[in-house]
Amino acid sequence: MSPALLAGAELQAQQPKAAKAGKSPAAGNAQFEALNPKGSPPPVRLIPMAPRLDTIHGKTIYLVDTGFMSGGVLLQQMQIWFNKNYPDVTVVFRKKAGSYMEDDPPLWKEIKEKGNAAIMAIGH
Amino acid sequence: MATKSFADLAKSNASKRGMPHIRACFTPHPVWGKTAEQLMAYVEGDDPVSGKPLMKEIIDGLTVPLTAEDTKTGMMDVNVGPPVYGPDTLDSLQTHFLNNGMTDFLPVIIPTPEKVDAMLKGTSHHPDEVVGKMAAGAFAAWTYTVKQVAVNAVMAGCEPEYFPVVLAVASSGMAALGSSTTSFAYSMVINGPIRDKLNMNYTIGAMGPFAQPNATIGRAWTLIGKNLGNGGIPGDTYMGSQGNNTNYNNIVIAENEKDSPWTPFHVQKGFKPEENVVSLFAGEDIRQGHGARRAGVLENPMFDDQISDIFRTLTSQFDALVICDPLTVKRLVEQGYDTKEKLMDWLWKNTQRTAKDYRDSAFVYTFHYPRALRGEEPYATWYKCPEGTLIPYWPKPDNIVLVVAGGQTNPFFQVGNLTYRVSVSIDKWM
Repeated sequence: MSPALLAGAELQAQQPKAAKAGKSPAAGNAQFEALNPKGSPPPVRLIPMAPRLDTIHGKTIYLVDTGFMSGGVLLQQMQIWFNKNYPDVTVVFRKKAGSYMEDDPPLWKEIKEKGNAAIMAIGH
Repeated sequence: MATKSFADLAKSNASKRGMPHIRACFTPHPVWGKTAEQLMAYVEGDDPVSGKPLMKEIIDGLTVPLTAEDTKTGMMDVNVGPPVYGPDTLDSLQTHFLNNGMTDFLPVIIPTPEKVDAMLKGTSHHPDEVVGKMAAGAFAAWTYTVKQVAVNAVMAGCEPEYFPVVLAVASSGMAALGSSTTSFAYSMVINGPIRDKLNMNYTIGAMGPFAQPNATIGRAWTLIGKNLGNGGIPGDTYMGSQGNNTNYNNIVIAENEKDSPWTPFHVQKGFKPEENVVSLFAGEDIRQGHGARRAGVLENPMFDDQISDIFRTLTSQFDALVICDPLTVKRLVEQGYDTKEKLMDWLWKNTQRTAKDYRDSAFVYTFHYPRALRGEEPYATWYKCPEGTLIPYWPKPDNIVLVVAGGQTNPFFQVGNLTYRVSVSIDKWM
């Protein structure tokens, strides 16, 4: 686990425990200080989650393929599943523009305007 | 939704981005290589993390009302520990650094205030000056000062006179530990008089463990990526499936300008010969040229052809960094390549593959296909042309970089599947 932890989580990056006696006589018992080698992380801004739906019946759900290998095939199976089990749900499959590392604002805008929910599949 | 192998990463990354209670569901791993029927079984099966039916998890995720925690706003600080550890024994401090992910799992020099102060004498820059920011992937970037870089340089075993090189590398913001499932490799090429001033090795064993500056400057880059960029935490900020042994101290290349008839790399990039420059590369790996076709011919070896043959084992997601021994360069000059550019041009034109082979590459699908869909050239053409069409490995000759290093004990070469990223002035950090 990273020694960089969110506030309130279990803290590992504390002071070291005392050395075991006699572990390395050559090093002796001389005492030293050591500077923390870590950089400075930015604070995390909490983002409230979007309101949930009361039901998915009659709603439009986007399935977003981020471009990882076979992610699109998996989502297309999910689309088939929705069509069979929730025929009143409109399922829209979209491949996100660009590689998985790139943003796709036009697609997010479309989902906000036309969709009620979105499911993203992330590799591999 | 992600696969099971990314469960920890998904939750941790969502927390770092301000959504610690994100509703994530998981399929078995992997999905790549599975048939549609097998993936339908995933959809109809259980989430392997929760043990509940996957589609119920998904629908619950969309419809179960939010809790107060889910809608919380505000700021959270990230704790990286106290500014100073100790006082304690060196052994205890060493163990603490090791157990808290601050090392490369080799012993480090404990960064006492005295050693860090000595390191800071290697630069004229103020200890509190912000050097840059770094993220080892799609995470929030961490910032760091000259002093924080110095702590890591001490740990790596650098001498103060190496410090400007380390600062130049750190200022690039490029981490030498990527988060991808691909186990990336990283390389730096150092040019200019500083190579001799620091006694860098660019002759026999140039890329081996035979000189302190080569060894420790490269090691510092890895420690910087871990400690200043928060990289290299397996399952969290590092997902390389098999790892890469070069990550211990990266592929450090001081170019052998003295024994090369070619233009030094930094001059190719617009710097003056007397300037000190470090150039950074990232990619897959490095391999020796011994496996090339006709690598064992007794007369008139054709190194252009041999290098081209090794290129055929590379992925075109990354470029080519060719490291030639000066003896190899002598023969290449005999072949007519009296400039790097002539050889780059020949290699680009004569290393080809079919469009089908190109399109069957996983990296090409992931990174070039989306660009082809946008109409970006040459990828759009490479995706449209008939399967048997021969196309070059890379868009242009500049995707091939040539540098010279080695001690002339044999005319060999090595090829890195590495892409040039940036050149940084070392002089600026003196």
